[in-house]
Amino acid sequence: MKTAMIAAVSTALLTTTAYAQDAASSSVRQAESSWYKDGQARIQEMLARQPNTNRAKNVILFVADGNGVGTNFAIRLFAGQNQGEMGEEHVLPYETPDFHSALVKTYNINAQTPDSAPTAGAMNSGVKQRFNTINLSEEGRHDNCASEEGNRLTTFAELATEAGKSVGVVSTARITHATPAGVYAKTANRDWEAEAPEGCTDIATQLVDQMKAGVVDIALGGGGGMFFSEGANTEGAYKAKRTDGKNLVENATDAGAQYVYDATTLSGADMSGEKPVLGLFKDSHMSYEVDRPESEPSLTDMTKAAIDYLKTNDQGFYLEIEAGRVDHANHDGNAYRTLSDGEEFARAIALADELTDDEDTLLIVTADHEHAIAFNGYCGRGNPILGICYDVDAEGVKHSDTPLLADDGKPYTVIGYLNGAGSILTPKESAEGGEVFSGSRPDVTEDEATDVDYIQQALIPMSSETHSGEDVAVYAKGPWAHLFDGTIEQNYIFHVMHYAAMDASAEGASGQ
Amino acid sequence: MTTNRRQVLAFGAASFLIAARPMPVFAETEIIKLRDLYEKDQSFTKLAKRLEGQRVGVEGYMAPPLKAESNFFVLTRRPMAVCPFCESEADWPDDILAVYAKRVVDVVRYNVKLVTTGRLELGAFTDPETGFVSRVRLADATFERA
Repeated sequence: MKTAMIAAVSTALLTTTAYAQDAASSSVRQAESSWYKDGQARIQEMLARQPNTNRAKNVILFVADGNGVGTNFAIRLFAGQNQGEMGEEHVLPYETPDFHSALVKTYNINAQTPDSAPTAGAMNSGVKQRFNTINLSEEGRHDNCASEEGNRLTTFAELATEAGKSVGVVSTARITHATPAGVYAKTANRDWEAEAPEGCTDIATQLVDQMKAGVVDIALGGGGGMFFSEGANTEGAYKAKRTDGKNLVENATDAGAQYVYDATTLSGADMSGEKPVLGLFKDSHMSYEVDRPESEPSLTDMTKAAIDYLKTNDQGFYLEIEAGRVDHANHDGNAYRTLSDGEEFARAIALADELTDDEDTLLIVTADHEHAIAFNGYCGRGNPILGICYDVDAEGVKHSDTPLLADDGKPYTVIGYLNGAGSILTPKESAEGGEVFSGSRPDVTEDEATDVDYIQQALIPMSSETHSGEDVAVYAKGPWAHLFDGTIEQNYIFHVMHYAAMDASAEGASGQ
Repeated sequence: MTTNRRQVLAFGAASFLIAARPMPVFAETEIIKLRDLYEKDQSFTKLAKRLEGQRVGVEGYMAPPLKAESNFFVLTRRPMAVCPFCESEADWPDDILAVYAKRVVDVVRYNVKLVTTGRLELGAFTDPETGFVSRVRLADATFERA
C-alpha cells in the first residue's frame, strides 16, 4: 500500500506538466492551439534551466559587427526564409532556450553613437573607452600618440595568457581592423593599422609582437597588406601597405610562427598547438560570403580551424570571432550582403557550439553596435525580408500579393536606411550658388529589391550609412551565462568572462 | 537604316511596356551587369570572353573620378563614395570596370545608376596618365542614367 502511494506521488510529480495542461484545457479555450502549447513547453524548459556554475575553461566571444537587434531580426528572417520557412518564427542557433540573454548599451565614453574600436575595447578590457581608440583609459586621446603612455589597459587576452590559456582571434575583416584589434592592440587611433607616429606602434606590428610574446596563438583574417612592404617576396605576399620596409610575416615566421594565406595552406597547417598560426587571406577585408571564392576560407572554416588549434591546450582558451562585414554591407546600404554574412555568422556559431562542451565553455554571441537600418510596415506574414512590402491577408496567414503603396503611389521595401548612399535626395545647383538636395523615390520592383546588389532607399544623403546608438543583444550559454540578464553596459561582458574563467571556484559553486 | 531605326524604337517601346521603366536600349547592344563579367575567383566569365571586342552596355555606378577633366572613370557594382587614392585605407573592390569615354566625362554622382556602353576589352592595361591598372575596360564609351 505504502509502495503504491509512493509510486502514485512520484507519478504525479513526473506528470505535473500533464496536469497543468489538463487544468488549462478545462478552463482555457485556446489550450489546444500550438501557440499555447509552445508557450507551455517553453515554461517547462525555463523551469528546467539550471545555472551552470562551473569555472569556464574556454571563452568564445562571437561579435557580428553592426548586428544590433534590428539587423539581427532581418538575419533571422533571411535565414528562415532560405530554409523554406515564413521566417518570423525562425530560431537562430543562439536564440534557443539554452541561451541566456540581455540588452547591451553600446555608447562610448564620449560618443552616443559608438564606433567599433572602443566597443571592442570595452568587451576586452572591462571599461568603456573613447571614440576611435582601442584599449586606452579615459585619459587617452584619439590620434594623440603621446597620450598612449601610461594609459594602456590590461586586456582579457593577457589575463587569459597569465592563466595558462591560449588566445585566438578570427575576423572576416582585416585582422588589424577595430574589433579583432580589441583583443591584442592598444592604440590612440584605430586607423594606425600599418603605420603609426614615432613613439607608437602600428596595429599589425602589435599583433606580431603579441604573437612573439606568447599572448596570441592563432590569428586568422584579412588585411595581408598591412604586414608587407614593397618588394616582399614571401609566398602569398599581398599588395604592400607598409612604408617602413618591414616584412612582418617574415618577422613572425622567423620567430617560429606558421604563415597561411588561402584555404589550402590553412588546411595544411600544423594544428598541434606547438607553433602559432598567422593566417592572412586577402590584402584587405575578406570577401563577403556571397562573393567568396573557394580558395578563401569562410568564417565557419576559420572558426573550425581556430577551435581545433586552441583545444590542444588543456588549460583552455579565449577566442574572439568576428563577422566583420555585416557592418560593411550595412554601411553600403546593401541589405543582401548584410544578411548573407549574418547567416554565415550563425553557421559559425552553430559549429562552435557543436565543437565545444557547454560544461566548460562560455559561448557569448553579441554585436558591437547597431546601424541606421529600419523596417517598414505593415507587411504580411512571411513577407520576403529583402522584398517589397505586401499587404496582410485577412483570411489566410501568408501575405497577400498586393504590394502596399506609399502616398507617392509607389511600393516600398521592408528594409530601409535612415541615411546612406541609397538616399533619394540628389544635389542640384541652386540659383544662388551651392547645392540644393531634393528628390522623389524611384519605383522599385520585387526583382530589383531582392537583387544581391540592390541598395535600399534611404533618406539623408551620406556616402556611407552610419552606425546608430541603439541597443544590441548579448546571448550566452555555458558557465555563468546566467550572469547576462536585463540591460547591461557593454564593458560588463568582460566581467562575466573574467568571473566565469578566472574568479569562479575551480570546483564550481557547489564545491565552495 | 530606316528599318534599323524603327527596330530600335520598337524595342525601346516594348521594354518600356514590360519594365514600366525606360532603359537605354540599343538594337545590337547587350545590357549586362558588371558581375556578369567576373567569376568569384576573378577570372573572366564565358560571357565576357564571348563579348570581347564588341560593344556592350554595363550597369553600374561611377566612382568619384581620379582626376578632373578626364575621359576616364571607374564603374563599380555598388555606389562607392570614397576615392581610394584620397583615403589611405580604402581599396578598390575586385570587380570593377575601367571606362574610357569618347568625351571628357561629365561627372555623375557616385550613387546614380548608369548604363555605360562601349567596346569591351580584356587583359591588363596600365593607364599612362594615372598609372591605374585595369584588367577589363570599356573603350569609346558613352553613358546614360539607367
